[in-house]
Amino acid sequence: MLFGIFGLLLGLGLGLWFPGYFPESISAYVGIMLVACADSIIGGLRARALGDYNESVFFSGFFINALLAAGMTYFGQCIDLELEIAAMVVFATRIFQNLAILRRSLLNLNEK
Amino acid sequence: MSDKQQNLPPLPEEDAVSNESNDWIAPALSAEPPPEEEAQEYKRTYSIGVFFVCLLFGFLFAMQFKSVDITSENAVNNQLLRTQELQNMLNEERQKNDALYQELLTLKDDIARYRELSLQSGDYAAVLNNELRRAELVAGFTDVIGPGVTVTMSDSVASVAGDGLTVDPSYLIIHDNDILQVVNELRDAGAEAISINGERLLATSEIRCAGSIVSVNNNRYAAPFVIRAIGDPEALESALKMRGGVIEQLAFFQIEVDVQKSDEVLIRAYTGTTSYTYAQEYKDDVPANPS
Repeated sequence: MLFGIFGLLLGLGLGLWFPGYFPESISAYVGIMLVACADSIIGGLRARALGDYNESVFFSGFFINALLAAGMTYFGQCIDLELEIAAMVVFATRIFQNLAILRRSLLNLNEK
Repeated sequence: MSDKQQNLPPLPEEDAVSNESNDWIAPALSAEPPPEEEAQEYKRTYSIGVFFVCLLFGFLFAMQFKSVDITSENAVNNQLLRTQELQNMLNEERQKNDALYQELLTLKDDIARYRELSLQSGDYAAVLNNELRRAELVAGFTDVIGPGVTVTMSDSVASVAGDGLTVDPSYLIIHDNDILQVVNELRDAGAEAISINGERLLATSEIRCAGSIVSVNNNRYAAPFVIRAIGDPEALESALKMRGGVIEQLAFFQIEVDVQKSDEVLIRAYTGTTSYTYAQEYKDDVPANPS
């Protein structure tokens, strides 16, 4: 957890310090990457809480999900269909589900 | 299973979770706790993974935040900025224009001085100077005064809605063609010098539509147009006012053309510069008048 917070702060600092901006054309991809990141973080926390964390699953999931989402965004742009919404909905649903599982597991721990 | 879990689909890890101990994020959970080194290794990889993804998340978030901020700000300010930018450019060009005009005036002063000097250096120079004066008069590079007319053309006072005219509203404003017709009639009637809104017409002058305004000598002028012409006032006036002539045609659209005869019409010299890039003097080798 500490590592996560540390990484988050470091990333925020880096991003704020970094000179330059994303051009408007790729902001959709960055947005989907952000949601993929959030999904991976929550998923990692859940796996950690449930004890089935696996490094390769974590990383492969993160990269493949992000790439798939970006690919869908691109494909959607090609056919003038907002496919990134589909990826967003899936990621957001997973975030909610994972958070719910995490919350329950934590509540159970505290009840003990 | 606790009460809380009953409205959720059962989770395979449920038992393991409820068995867990103190740490708020439980360490490795399994039926058989892993050996010490394995637990260490597990913790390390977990930390690296979470650290990496959190780092990426933070970076992307901060960058995206900045970018979105700037993009939306740009969208709001774009028009404002554009206007300001154009205003600045216009001011810059105006300043340049003024500077160049000053330079032109000083150069003209120089020319006048040189001419004075050359006058003093003999008869040949005096003859040349006279010729130059005449050429300048014809070319439009001197202020000229003489009898003539002042023609004022104003946009139509009629409106399509108000007067029930069934014409294209664009006919009610003065076009480059209308001015051209007037100028053409004046020239036909023997006008020797013509200016439009103070812009001297040269041999190379254009009278051209430039949006809602008219370009003369590459300067833009808007209605009302004041056309001054030096020549026989009677001839000039009647050329414009003849039956079926330009004024009568324009009167159909209630475009007012006012012609004032005058004994003293002052027409200023052309203030710009001319440059002939392509045309060169051609000297015929065969004498025009062999004897």
